[in-house]
Amino acid sequence: MFEVRFHGRGGQGAVMAAQALAEAAVIEGNYAVAFPFFGAERRGAPVLAFTRIDAKKIYSKTQVYSPDCVVVLDDSLLDTIDVVAGLKPGGSVVINSRDKPEDIDLGISVKTAAVDATSVALEILKAPITNTAILGAFAKATGIIKLESLEEAIKRRFGEKLGEKVAERNSLAARTAYGKTVIGKSKGIKKLEPKKQWLPTYQELPAGGSLVEGKTDAGLIGPGSFIENKVMGWATFRPVRDREKCTMCLLCWFYCPEGTIVRISDRGDLMTNYDYCKGCGVCANECPVDAIKMVRARV
Amino acid sequence: MITIKDLPDENLFTAGHTACPGCGVAMSIRNAIRVLGKDTSVYVPASCAVVFGTTFPYGAWKVPFFHTAFENTGACLTGMQAAFEKKGKKVTAVGFAGDGGTYDIGLQSMSGAAERNDDVIYICLDNEAYMNTGIQRSGGTPFGAWTTTTPVGTKVQGNRRFKKNLGEIVTAHEIPYYATLSIGHPLDFIRKVEKAKNIKGFRFLHMFTPCIPGWKMDPAKTVEVTKRAVESGMWTLYEVENGEKKITYKPGKMKSVRDYLMMQGRFRHMSDEDIKKLQMWVCKKWNLYYKEKGSPEICEIAPPEEHHAVTEEHREMHGP
Amino acid sequence: MKKVITGDHAVALGAKLCRVDVVPAYPITPQTLIIEHIADFVNDGEMDAKFLTMESEHSVMSAAAAASAAGARVFTATSSQGLAFMYEMLYATAPMRLPIVMANANRTLAAPPGIWCEYNDSMGVRDSGWLQVYVEDNQEALDMVIQSFRIAEDKRVLLPVMPCLDGFVLTHTVEPVDVPQQEDVDSFLSPYAPDIMLDPARPTMIGIFMPAEYIMELRRQTMGAVESAKKVIGEINDEFAKVFGRNYGGMIDTYMMEDAEVALVTMGTVTSTSREVVDELRKVGKKVGLVKLRFFRPFPVDELRKALSGVSAVGVFDRSISYHGGGPAFNEIQSALYGMTMPVVNHLAGIGGRDVTREQIIKMFEITIKAGKGEKVNTINWHNTRGETV
Repeated sequence: MFEVRFHGRGGQGAVMAAQALAEAAVIEGNYAVAFPFFGAERRGAPVLAFTRIDAKKIYSKTQVYSPDCVVVLDDSLLDTIDVVAGLKPGGSVVINSRDKPEDIDLGISVKTAAVDATSVALEILKAPITNTAILGAFAKATGIIKLESLEEAIKRRFGEKLGEKVAERNSLAARTAYGKTVIGKSKGIKKLEPKKQWLPTYQELPAGGSLVEGKTDAGLIGPGSFIENKVMGWATFRPVRDREKCTMCLLCWFYCPEGTIVRISDRGDLMTNYDYCKGCGVCANECPVDAIKMVRARV
Repeated sequence: MITIKDLPDENLFTAGHTACPGCGVAMSIRNAIRVLGKDTSVYVPASCAVVFGTTFPYGAWKVPFFHTAFENTGACLTGMQAAFEKKGKKVTAVGFAGDGGTYDIGLQSMSGAAERNDDVIYICLDNEAYMNTGIQRSGGTPFGAWTTTTPVGTKVQGNRRFKKNLGEIVTAHEIPYYATLSIGHPLDFIRKVEKAKNIKGFRFLHMFTPCIPGWKMDPAKTVEVTKRAVESGMWTLYEVENGEKKITYKPGKMKSVRDYLMMQGRFRHMSDEDIKKLQMWVCKKWNLYYKEKGSPEICEIAPPEEHHAVTEEHREMHGP
Repeated sequence: MKKVITGDHAVALGAKLCRVDVVPAYPITPQTLIIEHIADFVNDGEMDAKFLTMESEHSVMSAAAAASAAGARVFTATSSQGLAFMYEMLYATAPMRLPIVMANANRTLAAPPGIWCEYNDSMGVRDSGWLQVYVEDNQEALDMVIQSFRIAEDKRVLLPVMPCLDGFVLTHTVEPVDVPQQEDVDSFLSPYAPDIMLDPARPTMIGIFMPAEYIMELRRQTMGAVESAKKVIGEINDEFAKVFGRNYGGMIDTYMMEDAEVALVTMGTVTSTSREVVDELRKVGKKVGLVKLRFFRPFPVDELRKALSGVSAVGVFDRSISYHGGGPAFNEIQSALYGMTMPVVNHLAGIGGRDVTREQIIKMFEITIKAGKGEKVNTINWHNTRGETV
């Protein structure tokens, strides 16, 4: 049995990737299952999906804890999530990154395939939806599945839902990424501190789960505690403001759905706290004097 | 009157919440609560806002937050307010419900609170479909729109009914204040929330709140699309105070509904015929609210002889 | 002060004596008299509560939840279809630990539509987390409203409580009720003072969306609260007995069980009639006794095992059917008595409001006595049901 864990963000299509991979495996005469970790994620929030492939029927209905391959659709996830957790000895990582495998620090040195799937997706699909591109890289890195089967699976799954044209473009994204994938070994230097989580016992849990403002070893809880949830990883683009042009009309401050633009210098100036910027671009779109430009968030 | 500059800096709905980039609901909530202030207690029924505003053990709200179910915003506000009044606390109970939670499943509960004229503020965040469950049609979904339950098929394309006129239903309860709002019109938005805050009795703020994945659009265009909705007549900014209806913003020359539709993937499949039908609905609405015919080049289409609800299927069933 | 009043009137007086803050209400037979009496109290200025005329039972329990979360003492009443309509909100209120008290006038849950006594309404929500107590007369109905608030608001419990009274048999029957003095109730029951409530002075989140990492602990915690209620119920019963002179026995009550050879377990008003039947049977030399199942949640496992340890057979009365065989009380008692060897037989009677007569109760004892002697009897007995023989 070959087990794959996908790490992505809501909207990048991790679930669709897991399903397309399963379909490709079935096309090749195998048995395969794919399933998401059922969260209630919005666009941009970290998500998980899994694929299991075997020659015979698969009965296991649990999540994948020791994958043969980990697919990372967004390298910003490396800052907060230990993506290689449980990776089988000899396992591999497929990652969407502009860096070469040798420059990617996963905390362990492991076979790594890297491709700039975001650029491929932006070019071919005109949107940062990296799922099909990363599957191309997966095919090249693992050899578990043929590129042709993958393309066929993408055409079937996407064609059904989104029409032939979209399917064709996604198939092209996979093929292009296949060609651009670089295989090597990752760096194994950093010690990833997984984000601490407050996990109270049932006795410690406040009655009924009702919360007032509180502090735990894992950080703030209760009203206003989302302030510790840094969401910059969600952003593909981020705004840069030209202070000379800015007239302090405050429209961006008003519109920002995150509240990440703040008034400073006794309200005489503005500052964008990128920790909370998801890169929607509303501020740039609405600025009446074109003082805000959106640039790629990661270089 | 409060302007943008006068708004407080403190976020009572903090950054770090998990709404999608460009979320019209997050934008509206943030600014509504900014005006309503600290002495507010919030009820949110089942919706995206429950999840992106609170996920145990975290929360974005810095005012009291309560959630139980989907269909009971009106009743929960009533109960909450009764408790505050009994305890002599000066707190306003404010509900933030979606269109599904208001037009459909929560209509009865809202009607009860409105009819009793309970002293609460009901805010409907109208993004024109059930977005939390993944974009299904609600009574607030406009004609022609794609949703997962009004798919674009080979036989039927998109939603075949026109958006329910919720404003007429709510104002029929003879409540002290009803207003429609758009986040793309900040001064009008702030003024209406501020006005509602200072009125006693049942107040209803109906906010037009674009949904990026549900409307299949560029997240940068949230504000722009609300502006176009108003300019085209798809959304009308007005208020009804003690039964008196007043237009609070009248667009200049009417713009074709097509520009508004083409910004959004949910409408892009629409046939010319369907766009015409929707345009006629808008023209009728324009006439009703602004007491004038829309631009002649847009609204010259002769109105159909039959009511729009009479379809081919109806004719087959009931005869001509 | 003795008053000759209906069960509904007694319940309403109980709520008034508890100085409840908020009463969301909606009419349904045979509970309606309760909310009508409360409306009278409020409009006559005898009761300082917010009386909310809601537009459905779902909204009643929603308003109750919100008012309770905002720190108010909340009372309401319902029955049958109304309780069913609240189903979702019952499951919402208990794990949120909102100590609401709601009287349920037991009534058959349609189909078929009917208005008379049956327990299939409250039995259907026995796993919602609400505590349930079944009463046998109007005095107990009033007293249990008062005790229910003490139990519900106890920091070791913090769960909603549902005193259940038989529709019509109690709700519309007048009998003398000793109405406690307000000052006695005031000293027995302090004002509700929750640790956490919706209050801008100290913002709270109640009813937060919960990922799987937490829900199992929350369920375990709620179970713990239900368990703790057993001890609290006993304590409050004893304290109530001291102050008001009426002892209901806590989780269960027993009658003539000291030397009983055969026992019948009953609920609600059938208990009351059964007391006389026991006296009658004792007169003819039959050593029978009675166990009154008062609380159904928490379920009195230890109390039943102790009370029934010496008998040769147990008969269990049920006023509703669980469609896998017998009634809910029978199923749960069988499970509670696991490992004990005496036969347990089920007596289904009074369903749909059919009168449960002394003759039927005698029959229940007779069948149970036979079972105790090792004679073959039906395990499940449908009394006074055409087509069935018992």
